[in-house]
Amino acid sequence: MLSTVLEQVVNGIVTGSVYAIVAVGMTMIFGVLRAINFAHGEYYMLGTFGAWFAIDYLGLSYEASIVVGVLATIVVAYVVGQLVMRRMVGAPAESGVLATLGIALILQNTVIFVFGGGYKFFSGGYIEPISIFGFSLAQQRILILVVCLVVFVGLELMVTYSRLGMAMRAVSQNVECCEVVGIDVPQVVLRTFILGAALAALSGVLTAPVNVSVYGGMGELITFKTLPIIIMGGLGNVRGTFFAAMILGIAESLVATYVGLQFRDTVGFATLILVLMWRPHGLFSTQARF
Amino acid sequence: MSLTETVPQARRRDLRIPLAVVLIVVALGAPYMGSRYVTHSLIIALIFMLPAHGLNLLVGYTGLLSLAQAAFFGIGAYTAGLLAVTYGTPFYVNLIAAALVSGAAALPLGIPALRLRSTSFVMCTLGFVIIGQAIAKNWVSVTRGDMGLSSIPKPYFELGPLSFTVSGTTNFYYLALAVGVLATLAVWAIVRSPAGRNMVAIRENETLAESLGVPTWHYKLIVFMISAMFAGVGGCLYAHYLTVVSPLTFQMYYSTTMLIIVLGGGAGMISGTVFGSLLFVGLTEALRVAPEVRMIAYGACLLVLVFWFKQGFAPLINRFWNAIGGVK
Amino acid sequence: MNAHLPLLEIRNLSKSYGAVKAVNDVSIHIDRGEIAGLIGPNGSGKSTFFDCSTGLARPDTGTVILDGQDITGWSLNRIAREGRMLRSFQKTVTFKSLDAEENLVIAGQMFTFPSIAATFGLGKLSRSRIEGLRERARELIKMAGLWDVRHQPAGNLSGGQQKLIQFASMLMPEPKLILLDEPMAGINPKIIERVVDTILYANKSLGVSFLVIEHNIDVVTSICQRVVVLDQGSKLVEGLAHDIIQDQRVREAYLGG
Repeated sequence: MLSTVLEQVVNGIVTGSVYAIVAVGMTMIFGVLRAINFAHGEYYMLGTFGAWFAIDYLGLSYEASIVVGVLATIVVAYVVGQLVMRRMVGAPAESGVLATLGIALILQNTVIFVFGGGYKFFSGGYIEPISIFGFSLAQQRILILVVCLVVFVGLELMVTYSRLGMAMRAVSQNVECCEVVGIDVPQVVLRTFILGAALAALSGVLTAPVNVSVYGGMGELITFKTLPIIIMGGLGNVRGTFFAAMILGIAESLVATYVGLQFRDTVGFATLILVLMWRPHGLFSTQARF
Repeated sequence: MSLTETVPQARRRDLRIPLAVVLIVVALGAPYMGSRYVTHSLIIALIFMLPAHGLNLLVGYTGLLSLAQAAFFGIGAYTAGLLAVTYGTPFYVNLIAAALVSGAAALPLGIPALRLRSTSFVMCTLGFVIIGQAIAKNWVSVTRGDMGLSSIPKPYFELGPLSFTVSGTTNFYYLALAVGVLATLAVWAIVRSPAGRNMVAIRENETLAESLGVPTWHYKLIVFMISAMFAGVGGCLYAHYLTVVSPLTFQMYYSTTMLIIVLGGGAGMISGTVFGSLLFVGLTEALRVAPEVRMIAYGACLLVLVFWFKQGFAPLINRFWNAIGGVK
Repeated sequence: MNAHLPLLEIRNLSKSYGAVKAVNDVSIHIDRGEIAGLIGPNGSGKSTFFDCSTGLARPDTGTVILDGQDITGWSLNRIAREGRMLRSFQKTVTFKSLDAEENLVIAGQMFTFPSIAATFGLGKLSRSRIEGLRERARELIKMAGLWDVRHQPAGNLSGGQQKLIQFASMLMPEPKLILLDEPMAGINPKIIERVVDTILYANKSLGVSFLVIEHNIDVVTSICQRVVVLDQGSKLVEGLAHDIIQDQRVREAYLGG
């Protein structure tokens, strides 16, 4: 009994890591742009499709497919960033919602249009389980955990010490001031956006071997999962996002086991609505950004 | 006080009445002018026009961006479908019930949601759609889960001893047209009333409206409920027309479609919503555009609307209307 | 009601934002027919005091009594509607896409229609009520000198003209008391005169009382009888306008603060 609970918690942490890597990009984009990226899950989907394409069509190894998936997403994100995201600087919140909804529709359906709407089988990855502390865990899941930790430590360092990180903090605090002191705000937005999209893609490629199936609509589901996370984490708050992602991952995994699998995907939004009622600004402070 | 008022001007002829006559003739004669498929496309456009009218009250007039419209559309569809399948009630009963149930559902959802600011409100309304779908899938004893409701009977009317059933595409078209016209008149009445002016005041500046005695919170809640009622009516027609209702009635795509109708046609303009539903839903349906292509086009439309044509087709419609009205 | 009682009485009002005491135990009163001034350096808590008195913010402690009725904790719209105490905002605000007449009609609606439900009416009664409002609106527009621009969207007008629209809007409901938050800020001197005239007209002819936050000392001395000075959230001194500007403490608060 206890071991099942523990196993579910560990599974939940792995799922949480996947969400965390996606959500952190979304929350950083909110930080610099004050807009929710409703298309964020689509970059997760793009990464996965890129990797699937690399394996199935180009016959590359899983390791190489990770690179292909992430790079392909970066190219798409660059184009979207130049054409759309830069324009969102200083635009009202509603414009951001509508524009990113539009991007989500375009990306998702272009992929469905090109590759078809059906489920595809993802064949790469390290799926052999290994046994640690008495229960078995697929190597891929361990990889996800490690990558998640590396990403978050890396982001903390980057935000604190790098030029881009400092610019991001500055922009998230006051856009007008940044313009006055000569920080190129649209450029910071563009870079943050590409970084966020690349992380989402990475998360997608890493998760694909666990999920096995790849399909065009998968991004939307991820967007809907990460929206509650970034709100609960306090919009723009990187650490809050990490914890919120873990909480949601564990909660989903427990609900799936003990309440019913069909309720798993509603946990996020149900929690979100409850949290919004209780604390309209999220569980974690939005002040402690980055 | 400009010069043009003092200089006598050759007024062009007012063509509005002839145009209205033409439009009425076209609307009434549509089933006999085009193929059955065209009629079908018009029915779909009319069905989506109803939730779009409601959304226009919310987005266009009151300034609240909501994605919840598909949830109320779904609630209306399920209400009408369940009544028709289980009790075989006449159409007008289903229609009123769908409106009332959707409107009533909007009360407990609107009270917490409307306390949230812009983006949080949008997300909360999105959550209603997702949770609505989950309920439709999982409350199997009522909704029959993923299978949904099927063989919903054709709408029928019962007036004393008389009763008749609306069957066939052409007849359904007239039913949808009648509901659509009534709904359009209802929106017109709401917008023209002093309450409509208060709604615009809330859109323009909520704090100022509040400081002038307008109970903005009550108005927002009432408009949220009214817009849900319109969606419920649309859902009722949808259920009767397609004769099936599944949990997929609750989907973001529907909310997005309704948004495109409103924003594309021109938010805050009744003729814009009518025009938008014909263009974005009717035309794509008539041209049998593949769903993926249609959604790509919708996405592109959203981007264009947000960054380049903020007012949609509204300025064009206005100019056209003024031109045929003889106003320069 | 009670002619001998002050129109507005605010007792021991305090409001903190975190550790900052924005308003600290301030009591003031406004008499019927009076134009009172509220002055003080920037950050002295004047606007917070306004917000707490008019229902835009909730005071931590203190009571607000309007015409013998305790209105503490009422919402902004209820205070306006039921108390007929209106306020302006520091930033000029109008309903920008609507013209002057529509702006004023909106301002009068909630005072003419008995309920929210009634505002959804389109019948004869509703139409005649709106027609009445339009007539009053046109009068006030004339008085404010906005007749020539009455068909333009308010957003297209100058800051001063918008301020006049805002001011005329507040006169629509036949208010008892108007609280003005820096009515002269950022408008050109010509319009200042017009705003002063309008305030005096409203006070003399319509019997409206005023509490005015204003930095322009000339304006304060020319329209206000009594002046209250706030400094760092507390009431520093209160007295006749001419005495106040001579007061050493007031000078120190402004200059040496």
